Amino acid sequence: MKTLLKKLNIEEVNIGACAGPDAWFKDPQSDELISYNPTTGDPIAKILQATDKTYDQVIQQAEESFNTWRMLPAPKRGQVVRDLGNALREKKEPLGELVTLEMGKIKIEGLGEVQEMIDICDFAVGLSRQLYGLSMHSERPAHRMYEQWHPLGIVAVISAFNFPVAVWSWNAAIAAVCGDITVWKPSSDTPLTAVAVQHIANTVMGDHGLKGIFSLTIGRGSVVGERIINDTRIPLVSFTGSTAMGKRVAQAVSKRFGRTILELGGNNGIIVTENADMDMAVRAILFGAVGTAGQRCTSTRRIIMHRSIAAKLEDRLIRAYKQVSIGDPMKEGILMGPLVNKAAVEDMMAAMEKVKEQGGKILFGGHRLPDLGDNYVEPTIVKMPAQTEIVHNETFAPILYLLEYEDLDEAVNLHNEVPQGLSSAIFTRNLLEAEQFLSTAGSDCGIANVNIGTSGAEIGGAFGGEKETGGGRESGSDAWKAYMRRQTNTINWSKELPLAQGIKFGD
Amino acid sequence: MGNKPDLTLDIEIEDLVREYPRAAGFLTKKGVRCIRCGEPIWGTLGELLEADRIKDQSGLLDELNQFLAGKEET
Repeated sequence: MKTLLKKLNIEEVNIGACAGPDAWFKDPQSDELISYNPTTGDPIAKILQATDKTYDQVIQQAEESFNTWRMLPAPKRGQVVRDLGNALREKKEPLGELVTLEMGKIKIEGLGEVQEMIDICDFAVGLSRQLYGLSMHSERPAHRMYEQWHPLGIVAVISAFNFPVAVWSWNAAIAAVCGDITVWKPSSDTPLTAVAVQHIANTVMGDHGLKGIFSLTIGRGSVVGERIINDTRIPLVSFTGSTAMGKRVAQAVSKRFGRTILELGGNNGIIVTENADMDMAVRAILFGAVGTAGQRCTSTRRIIMHRSIAAKLEDRLIRAYKQVSIGDPMKEGILMGPLVNKAAVEDMMAAMEKVKEQGGKILFGGHRLPDLGDNYVEPTIVKMPAQTEIVHNETFAPILYLLEYEDLDEAVNLHNEVPQGLSSAIFTRNLLEAEQFLSTAGSDCGIANVNIGTSGAEIGGAFGGEKETGGGRESGSDAWKAYMRRQTNTINWSKELPLAQGIKFGD
Repeated sequence: MGNKPDLTLDIEIEDLVREYPRAAGFLTKKGVRCIRCGEPIWGTLGELLEADRIKDQSGLLDELNQFLAGKEET
């Protein structure tokens, strides 16, 4: 472990407030945060959390840096992001391992997460030459109209433990080419991965003679988080977390006329029709439900299966789950690591009790695995008689609910009944069923897939959901527009001053 | 039974779930979810109970303290 930490410049005690190379801000008043390895429960290293003073130092630097950064041509900003992507390529292996060490996802997923960071940097480099605005014809002679997009300012990124580095990069890479400054508050469960990323970003900034473009403030939500959401110097807050917290963030930010990008809870369902390729469906469900130990916002939580194939699908899933190897996520061949901490385990066990109270039948799993460690649980399959209250709540654990349906309209209604609207999928080889699912009368989610699962999105599409998932979009497509301010321009190159709509005023 | 912790409504949720993870399960069963999407809710226990419209906050707090003093799993 020490070798790994050294490769990423992680020390025994790390400073949690940074605004660039040689800009780590210390304060003797800092509280100490210990980061633990969820696999063993052992401490990894410590962080001195940001205080009000060091938070303000970071924001002050960010404001100063914005004045310079926004004036750099976007393609030049793209070059910095290109170098960030290359630096991440060089550090992919150790950073991916640190993700596994600190968060518990299996190593291949940790590496995959860093690959996402690299991919979004590549995307952003191209984007830096494509921040297109429309031009439109004016109704007035010798006038020209168009729109352009300007940088916004400081973008605060508040991220969660489950994608401890990728969510930052989705925001930071796009924000950077858009001319914004990023200030990051990571999860208190995964602060070291953020420190590691900050070191990488510092190297890139240093190479370009920059600072403050990518900054860090590690601290508890009730301190640093609250400062961010109420800070009028921060025009945009990109928040990834629960619906409950998203409401609080949205209210605070909108009260000061700031903007938010909200990526909140999911409750992702897959409809498996009688025309599904069963092999494909089982594999997709396994990855979706068991991957990252059920701790993705896009994890598959509900299977809505046609009555005629229900028994067969149940049997196939149970057999697949029996083969899931659970253990040390660093080890090859392991498919499921621990949950992130003990509280997550307790929450899952409480959910299992509610499942039973609400008529659910546990077909597989449902237990802790104390022989493996305090944070290990079995991936669980539950057959529900109906979509009861517990199914409406997202439990961040590998619990998969099975429900049955008779006709596709019923399946879609069941699917859309929950308050969340992030990701969804249908497995079918019937074109009509697929198209119905994707139509306006189908899935109400921000992501709707055919013959792939609910998780594992690529960076090229806009990522986010509807309803209580918050409506935000990050990553690809034109999600970049949320990071800029639109300006409509009209240029009069005549010697007259005609008014629009033919108004005559004092002529 | 162990020593009863002396938690108050002023305890930060982030501290509560770190120091007393069993509290998460206890509160979930009472309809108070202090961790959502794997992250603790910001603020104090009192603020959370207020938001979740728990009328007898001191009663629930007392139960929580007693529960944490016990050894049984959730």
